[in-house]
Amino acid sequence: MKTIEELKYSKDHEWVKTEGNLAYIGITDYAQHALGDIVYVELPDVGSRLGKDEVFGVVESVKAASDVYLPLSGTVVQVNEAISDDPALLNQDAFANWMVQIEMENPAELEELMNAAVYVEICNE
Amino acid sequence: MGALKRTVLYDNHVGAGAKMVDFGGWEMPVNYAGGMIEEHLYTRKKVGIFDISHMGRFAVSGRDAKEFLQYVLTNDVLALDLLKAQYTFLSNESGGAIDDAYLYRFHDEEYLLVVNASNLEKDWTHLNREIKKFDAQIVDWSEELAMIAVQGPESQTVISRLMGSTTLTEPVKNALGILHFEGNEVLISRTGYTGEPLGYELMVKATDAAKIWEGLIALGAMAIGLGARDTLRLEAGLPLYGHELGLDIDGEEIPIFSCPMAKFAVKFVEAKGDYIGKKALEKQYEGLKRIIRPIVLIDKGVARAGYKVFKGDKEVGYVTSGTMIPYLKREEEGPESKMSEEKIMRAIGLALLDSNIGLAEEVEVEIRGNRAKAVVMSHHKFESESRRK
Repeated sequence: MKTIEELKYSKDHEWVKTEGNLAYIGITDYAQHALGDIVYVELPDVGSRLGKDEVFGVVESVKAASDVYLPLSGTVVQVNEAISDDPALLNQDAFANWMVQIEMENPAELEELMNAAVYVEICNE
Repeated sequence: MGALKRTVLYDNHVGAGAKMVDFGGWEMPVNYAGGMIEEHLYTRKKVGIFDISHMGRFAVSGRDAKEFLQYVLTNDVLALDLLKAQYTFLSNESGGAIDDAYLYRFHDEEYLLVVNASNLEKDWTHLNREIKKFDAQIVDWSEELAMIAVQGPESQTVISRLMGSTTLTEPVKNALGILHFEGNEVLISRTGYTGEPLGYELMVKATDAAKIWEGLIALGAMAIGLGARDTLRLEAGLPLYGHELGLDIDGEEIPIFSCPMAKFAVKFVEAKGDYIGKKALEKQYEGLKRIIRPIVLIDKGVARAGYKVFKGDKEVGYVTSGTMIPYLKREEEGPESKMSEEKIMRAIGLALLDSNIGLAEEVEVEIRGNRAKAVVMSHHKFESESRRK
């Protein structure tokens, strides 16, 4: 499985990349592989305020619909329309295609996320 | 729970990088490396092969074989000619499906019944209980025979080349033939579960299965997993036991006649006489409250099995099967047209709906608390290169 060193990871298979007070969030390569062909993505409204571990969207593969959880609390600043138009982008490169950009409410929550090495370990369990 | 069962092609699946899942107690490939969408489209454009050895294969013979089959199946066995197959149901007394099945007549005095893997044991127990009333025998051939479906426009070509036989079956649906592969019998039927105009199913000696499987792949066939098998059958509007047959979401029995295909597979001809479920089925034939209909979403979203369907404020049914799958557009109409590479995603499904909901009528599917518009279809249109042959 592919991971990227600089990113942070959640147990629900989301990745986080921060830029100042902003965070980009997507699903991991492990998650896209487990889901299989992704055919539909539902993203939140810009401006919505969501708590940590709240459902912020849905990723649907041919076989099933899966909720995606926000690993940090915050307000949605931008959503990536490109993946709504072409959900297969998540299969092609899950790390290059973020889902939402949020303004973090509590950056201390970042401490609870994993680094790549720990994330790989929990995936292999 | 015991260990999962494996078909004789297990090593071939794993070797090809398949993702293996538990399906009705069997460890089966859900998809291979290319994914379900590629597998789905390849079957429509070229040819897909499916390991269906997990299904049950029972041979029925003996003096009263016909009478026994007439009694436990809903179709008319007397109308089944030699070298023909028919779709049929195992009905219970209340007109619900114990299973749906295919009955094959490769030999004059012997019938072969193919049943769903997930119902195999239940069917076997039921049939063995009923056969006691008849002078007939039933034998489980599921292990001796493996089964491979070969579906799509190039199916005939790859089988012909592998078997070295230009004639496979009579050129009509449900026709059967007997071929040979390296001296061993291969039973072939022009049947399938993909809706492909051209497609076959092979029953082969279990020991020949791997060689035939790899031979077909070498000739250009793609291995297809259960995921695409499901999307192909859904696109073709074919029922799946546990979704369109069996019990509904409230645990109530779905009447066999809810499935549009029942009218081809349930017969009331006098020659058939009485059989299990006949009275209930005759009543269903007069009219049902709910029937299975294809639907397609107009709004964004994906309709999934179990989602409720509304007409205005009234709940009018639920989705029995649903997914989103691409189909290929034809570049232009006419004899020279080809299937394009352009994929169009569409969310399709089958739904058990109140029978007063008509064709082309708009309904709404509740998806995570929101309503998405959908329309009731007579069938899902899809393109296959087979239609040009």
